[in-house]
Amino acid sequence: MDAEKANYITKPTRFTVFLRTFLPWQLWRFAAINLKMIEIIRRSHRSESKK
Amino acid sequence: MSRVVVLGAGIAGHTAAAFARSWLGRGHDVTVVSPRPDYNWVPSNIWVGVGLMKPAHVTFPLAPVYERAGIEFVQAAAREIHPEGDQDGTAPYVTAESADGRTLKVPYEFLINATGPALRFDKTEGLGPEGGHSLSVCLPQHAANAAAALAEEVERMKKGERRRFLVGVGHGTCTCEGAAFEYIVNLEFELRHRGVRDRAEITWITNEYELGDFGMGGMHLKRAGYVTPSSIFNASLFAERGIDWITRAHVSKVEPGRVLYETLDGNEGEQEFDFAMLLPPFSGVGLKAFGRDGAEITEKLFMPNEFMRVDADYTAKPYEQWRAADWPRTYQSPYYENIFAAGIAFAPPHAISVPHKSPNGTVIAPAPPRTGMPSAMIAKAVAHSVVDMIGGAKAPTHTASMADMGAACVASAGANPLTGTAASMTVYPIVPDFERYPDYGRDQDRTFGEIGLAGHWIKILLHHLFLYKARLRPGWRRIPE
Repeated sequence: MDAEKANYITKPTRFTVFLRTFLPWQLWRFAAINLKMIEIIRRSHRSESKK
Repeated sequence: MSRVVVLGAGIAGHTAAAFARSWLGRGHDVTVVSPRPDYNWVPSNIWVGVGLMKPAHVTFPLAPVYERAGIEFVQAAAREIHPEGDQDGTAPYVTAESADGRTLKVPYEFLINATGPALRFDKTEGLGPEGGHSLSVCLPQHAANAAAALAEEVERMKKGERRRFLVGVGHGTCTCEGAAFEYIVNLEFELRHRGVRDRAEITWITNEYELGDFGMGGMHLKRAGYVTPSSIFNASLFAERGIDWITRAHVSKVEPGRVLYETLDGNEGEQEFDFAMLLPPFSGVGLKAFGRDGAEITEKLFMPNEFMRVDADYTAKPYEQWRAADWPRTYQSPYYENIFAAGIAFAPPHAISVPHKSPNGTVIAPAPPRTGMPSAMIAKAVAHSVVDMIGGAKAPTHTASMADMGAACVASAGANPLTGTAASMTVYPIVPDFERYPDYGRDQDRTFGEIGLAGHWIKILLHHLFLYKARLRPGWRRIPE
């Protein structure tokens, strides 16, 4: 990728990249994301419903 | 006694057969007709494709599972549907061709078509691993071959060579951009992990109008005080990892070491490669249908793309008039009340992404994806309706519209229990509904995405959970689709 193209792209800060694999933060995100997904799954299963 | 015949044993077919068997009494039969002997958990094929798993880790033999569950398994490829029977009688049946060339006649009272896609490598000259010049991860063996080719490239890079990798889609009408996206970021991660990333030039080629479209018109995420389109996040990840990209492209030809492509503005380009993994476009599997008099009625049951017509609104209309209500709810054939389609086998009413054509008339726009979660939910709803109709219901009793359901999706971006990441995403609904959500078509509180190690843990969890469920182990019904 040429430098000019890359210059116009949003990039994460070092802190954001660090958080992506920082275990305590990711343990919390594991719980939070699972809860979000369970809510979507429950809601979607409600839509798989009787007419 | 009724016989439910399910064509196909992928995510949709296997789910439909398992639930139908579970809910029907022993006085009724469930038969699965499928050409392959194994179940394949397709979402994990990308890990086979980078050499982290073997095909045996993402497949298992169906016959013993079906024997234990009381499901008849016919290993054969479905060819014809005779919904009115033939001149010998009015009982409907399908014909299927076994591996040794025998034609089998399988009668049914209810038919669930879950045949999935045909991989149409033939739509682009030179595309594909069988006679072409590119690799694929669509099937476990394709993925294993891609892993072997990748290992060879790594060896060459370890000796100091620079190599060019091209990943994406091999036609302007492809779908499943999400799978190719997972492959390219896993590939980049693996090259880093193996210490040769600095000798690799990696390029993404896609028919998407913008990065992050994924065939569902992209999505908008609330983050840090802004509503941001997924294209920003996708471009950011590629830039962070030094992956270049070509968007709005229709690959017209794959030659040894080079692809030729046309872009939406009508220009032509070429990209050289040493390793190319390009997904094919899909169509239906080419089932034919015949009336009682023997006349072909394929066009009545199927759309020109060979996917099955169901209760969708197939009226041709411009993008501005597309509605969420166009999407099917019961997946019942409009002509035969005992025929349903589930998963990729049903014909969508139209795309989800905005349609585009080049000045030459080439369609360059993703087809709508039907991923694992909606495919399984549709299959479960269809199985429920069929079971209720066998029990006396006059019409389908359950619905599962992609415009009413959300999807949770985890896209692997590197597989390692401590340094890996994955993009965890939810969208609600899958098909944007601009009447309910005028701004972006989706509920902003239920559409989110983030990348991190937690996503990788979830992806691993889902791999084991869904294979456990597919093996119909104790408690499988309690695992959601």
